[in-house]
Amino acid sequence: MIALVVNGEHCEAPAADRNLLSYLRFDLRLTGSKYGCGEGLCGACTVLVDGQPLRACMATVGAVAGGQVTTIEGLAQENALHPVQQAFIDESAMQCGYCIPGFIMTAVALLHRESEPSPAQIREALAENMCRCGTYQRIQRAVERAAAQR
Amino acid sequence: MSSEQPSAQGLHIVGEVALGFTPPRTSYARAAYSGAEPDTQQATLLIVRPDGTAAAFSGKVEYGQGIRSGLTIEVADELRVPLEAVEVVLGDTDTTPWDMGTFGSQSTARVGLQLRRAAATAREVLLELGADHLDLPASELECHDGAVASRVNRDRSATYAELVSGRQIVRELQDDVELTAAGQFSIMGTSVPRNDAIERVTGMALYSQDIVLPGMLFARILRPPEYGAKLVDADATIAERMPGVAEVVRNEDMLAVLAESDQQAASAATVIQANWSEPASQLTQFDMPDLLLHTGRDPFLTQEAGSLEDGFRQADDVIEQTYYLPYVSNAPMEPRAAVAQWEDGRLTVWAGTQRPFGLRAELAQQLEIEESDVRVIAPEIGGGFGSKSIYPVGLEAARLARSAGRPVRVAYDRAEEMTWASVRPAALIRIKSGFMSDGRVVAWQSDGYHAGDRPFLGRRGSDTPYAIPNVRVTTYTSDSPLRTGSYRSLGGAANHFARESHMDEIAARVGLDPVDFRLRNLTHPRFRRVLEAAARMFRWSPGASPSRRGAGVALGLDVGSYVAACVQVDARGPEVRVERVSAALDCGLTVNPEGAKNQVEGSIVMGMGTALYEAIEFRGGRLLNSGFTRYRVPRMNNVPQIDVELVGEPETPSTGAGEPGIVPVAPAIANAVFDLTERRVRELPIQSHLDGSSSSEVIPG
Repeated sequence: MIALVVNGEHCEAPAADRNLLSYLRFDLRLTGSKYGCGEGLCGACTVLVDGQPLRACMATVGAVAGGQVTTIEGLAQENALHPVQQAFIDESAMQCGYCIPGFIMTAVALLHRESEPSPAQIREALAENMCRCGTYQRIQRAVERAAAQR
Repeated sequence: MSSEQPSAQGLHIVGEVALGFTPPRTSYARAAYSGAEPDTQQATLLIVRPDGTAAAFSGKVEYGQGIRSGLTIEVADELRVPLEAVEVVLGDTDTTPWDMGTFGSQSTARVGLQLRRAAATAREVLLELGADHLDLPASELECHDGAVASRVNRDRSATYAELVSGRQIVRELQDDVELTAAGQFSIMGTSVPRNDAIERVTGMALYSQDIVLPGMLFARILRPPEYGAKLVDADATIAERMPGVAEVVRNEDMLAVLAESDQQAASAATVIQANWSEPASQLTQFDMPDLLLHTGRDPFLTQEAGSLEDGFRQADDVIEQTYYLPYVSNAPMEPRAAVAQWEDGRLTVWAGTQRPFGLRAELAQQLEIEESDVRVIAPEIGGGFGSKSIYPVGLEAARLARSAGRPVRVAYDRAEEMTWASVRPAALIRIKSGFMSDGRVVAWQSDGYHAGDRPFLGRRGSDTPYAIPNVRVTTYTSDSPLRTGSYRSLGGAANHFARESHMDEIAARVGLDPVDFRLRNLTHPRFRRVLEAAARMFRWSPGASPSRRGAGVALGLDVGSYVAACVQVDARGPEVRVERVSAALDCGLTVNPEGAKNQVEGSIVMGMGTALYEAIEFRGGRLLNSGFTRYRVPRMNNVPQIDVELVGEPETPSTGAGEPGIVPVAPAIANAVFDLTERRVRELPIQSHLDGSSSSEVIPG
């Protein structure tokens, strides 16, 4: 058994080679982290491990053993949305919404390491994620809004 | 047909199920219906519940267009209740009215209008009930904020809840009911946040990839290595003994592993020794232009006027050119997935399809059961852009679940989604034009060759909107080595690329500013309005191309909406960069301006991808770029500043907003590249062409 902490809860995964994304989605039923490409290219599966962004589709639970994993479901605190989540709503930064959890997690990680990111820094950081609906301009504005509120 | 049966309390408005349904006559309609027909003539469209809230029902699905929000706005405004009092129920064959499918940008144009009529009918009934209840003439009453009140004495009022609770009233939708006039809207036309946004930012929104049932088995289906390959034989003895494997199913051409986890199913699938037949085709993407031209058949005249012979004789000058667009992939972020469950002979399938009722018909037919024994639920859908009308994983999951006796999940991975979904037809379009030296176009001959066996795809948007006296536009159906299907605007984007590029070539030849040249050839006021608006937003400064400024323009028409875009490109770096796009859309009455603008912005980004980067590469039936390493789509750092203005008049009926934004994008970019570099790129994607890695040398003259 592999011990890890997911959204503050202690969990035990069945085997070290269990894919982290599959573990989160199917074993823990935390389906907010999405499968998009399975190659670490689209960012839909982005979670935070000890505050750092990680492509869950490319990781095993063994690789994050003992770590603190945060998924999109663990972002809101005591019924209050995280400022980044709220900013995505305020800017209508979504269409189908499938990529949005990954974008939000990437943005949270960015704001964690860079409290006042420039528009160019936001663009570069979020270029790791894909939105096929093309809501990029709104996503950019949402992250700028969230950054300004800090 | 509603989950809230007509026997339930409240005011029920029933109406015609398949609005505008007539037996399919055109190939478009036949293909769209695929044999699915309405099961009842009437269904409940709207309920005013005993607590005064309302529920509206539509068989359309939400796949990114924001129709849940749009329809909520329309019903709330027409019923005079707050947005929070309206629930819109979508895409479930057990609880919503029959619907042919979510495509062609019809949700607002047709369903929205029908639900507005239902809500207006309900309002009329509530006024009658209020008149009885308050003992006042109905003419003195009005509906406001969920209540019927006297205009004279505001204290004389009754809430909708008071009027309908304890009663069960069923009324028919009145087609001629008076709708709220454009100037009287209180919500429509204002910017309202989506009512399904919280679920999307918290990860609570459930997509078909996310459906997990107790006892569910994960399937991994062995797909052929290429189109046309057939399973010859397979040895699964090792796979069957792998941990977690419940069964290896061999069913005609399907070979599937069923296991307790996705990972176990995938691992077992990799050790199956399967032999496949090899299809004969060795065509590649480089063969496409020739193939399209030489296999073109079934000419279909989409537009004809005057005499081409006269037009060309009269013309001062003639240009003849050929334009080519490769196959591109819809590549939605969510690969198709379905979960099927059998309970007491009744089948439920969760599937992110654009056609839940079509899938129900297909399942009933293929599994030889009654449609009433099938329920299809379309949960949230992670994009599709047209292609999720075809949803084979639904039937695969249903078959496997029936034989396994447990719920089964079938989900495409990225490579499967790219390979086994459909691609936008490759197209080759030849245009010959005759024009006067003052810029009047007098002859227009267009022949479009579109790959695939769905001719209606290629016809869309092939007509010229310019006031040209002598016109003949013909589309042809050509062979396709790949499976073609719907894509945002269907063939509209291809036909617009050819036409608007060609118009630019004429403008350059006669030395006219591209905007001015187009205006000289346009009489239709809605085209002129969008073009003038886009030019104004862009601060277009007149001048003939090539001006070395990198500005380009194009206009178009799709799903009844008028659109124009101006773009600014820069090519100083290693690749073409689109810096700025100004777009104007006239889609008539805009119910939800933020939603419509969001759609146009997304269409522009998608169009930019096809213009600059995207092309399917293949050899034989094998896709060579079935993942995002080699199939490049736009990302955050490629995206220009996009400004969108909605210039439709509120008195004009709503037309589509989800598709038209894409049609002017590729030609405007190509025209801007010409303006900047003097290089006329007649083939997409532009970046590959400029890099010299394209198939231009094989475009037939």
